[in-house]
Amino acid sequence: MPSLCFKKPPVSEKRLVIGVGALEVSKDPGAVLTIFSLGSCLGVAIYDPVVRAGGLLHAMLPDSSINPARAGERPAMFVDTGLAALFRAAYQLGAEKHRLRICVAGASHFMDDSGFFNIGQRNFQQFTDILRHHGLAIAAQEVGGFVSRTMQLRIGAGAVCLKTSGQNSETILYRS
Amino acid sequence: MQILDDYINKVKSLPPAPRILAQLLTLLNDAEIDAGRIVDLITFDPGLTAKLLQRCNSAAAGLAEPVYDLRQAVSLMGFNAIYRMVATVVGEGILGSAQRGYGISSGELWQHCATAGLAAKVIADKLGAETELVFTAALLHDIGKIVLNGFLEGAYEPALKLTGVSGQSFLEAEKSILGVEHAEIGGRLLARWNFPETLVKAVWHHHDPARACPHQQLAGYVYLADLIAHCLGQGQGYQSFAIRGRPEVLEMLEISPKEIEDFVIQTALSVEMANWIIPHRS
Repeated sequence: MPSLCFKKPPVSEKRLVIGVGALEVSKDPGAVLTIFSLGSCLGVAIYDPVVRAGGLLHAMLPDSSINPARAGERPAMFVDTGLAALFRAAYQLGAEKHRLRICVAGASHFMDDSGFFNIGQRNFQQFTDILRHHGLAIAAQEVGGFVSRTMQLRIGAGAVCLKTSGQNSETILYRS
Repeated sequence: MQILDDYINKVKSLPPAPRILAQLLTLLNDAEIDAGRIVDLITFDPGLTAKLLQRCNSAAAGLAEPVYDLRQAVSLMGFNAIYRMVATVVGEGILGSAQRGYGISSGELWQHCATAGLAAKVIADKLGAETELVFTAALLHDIGKIVLNGFLEGAYEPALKLTGVSGQSFLEAEKSILGVEHAEIGGRLLARWNFPETLVKAVWHHHDPARACPHQQLAGYVYLADLIAHCLGQGQGYQSFAIRGRPEVLEMLEISPKEIEDFVIQTALSVEMANWIIPHRS
């Protein structure tokens, strides 16, 4: 398969970097949304293949209840408020809930059975709980492990790509 | 331990010793800070001085008027802010290059260490620790990797890619491959460069703080700062999350898991404000 992702962009591409605690949505076919270096954070890509719109969330912590004021300012910092904000923003572009393809990556963890530093696991658990509550399914995922990852959503192709730190190869996690 | 010193001696391109940091840390620790000596020490290096003035005059520093010499910069920003600026200029020089034996690209080790430095400052400010010492220890905690990198490159990379999955931590994998690991080598290097004993031990035991006794507190801060940097995605390279959990560190530092999440948030905000961390590029 020809390489789809992480290539030098043509001039028509609009590259957007999604920092920690941020999200973006777009229906511009030239938009390429990228999260560099997902550690225990969660990267969530959603895409509606009918209206060809999607978005990418870079959430840091599972639960906004630890800092509601911060969640008010930056909902994308937390998985619960971030997911709600991501879906709302996609609906503004004409996306519909049950058409959305949902991909998730990140949530790396340390070698720790005691769970003292289990932010990655809790981020993913929160995510799956919320999806289950809303009757939504995951289209593709690559979570856990001991690596950091770069995640990309290409709106035009409706594709989600991943690159693992320390490896030259890239993978296509999902393609519509 | 001759074998460990041999590793340090064999490295062809060891960076120049950041002696200025060790000297400045000592001066900052004096009851009465000698402004003249601090300025003299820094201005002895014209390249460093020029970079500092450039950063002082950047928009991010937020000074109302431009500064033209270091004495003026110190009086406007304070010793501690200037010290941290020196540490970041020096640190980037030492840690900026690629470490291919670890699967770390150019700039990535520095981004990791800089993020850990900011996390350590957040922790130190909150817990009332000596900020500059904690910041420096975290900034330099992985310096041993620049010593071991060349020995790992090539033949050992397949083994490193299996750490964690194989049940071995990254540190244990280094030890089984080379007979040494980066934390100890880093501590030895910093001792050779005359850094304070407490900082040397904190770096040496940053993966197992309890062993740094009686300096376990500082080692604990560095351990947590390292994990926080990983959480924020600044932990690149092969299987870099294959780090042993040390729940006893929370008890030792008397902090709760909720406080760790607060530290993560504060660190992420500090990173956003810092103009001296190399931005990400694909």
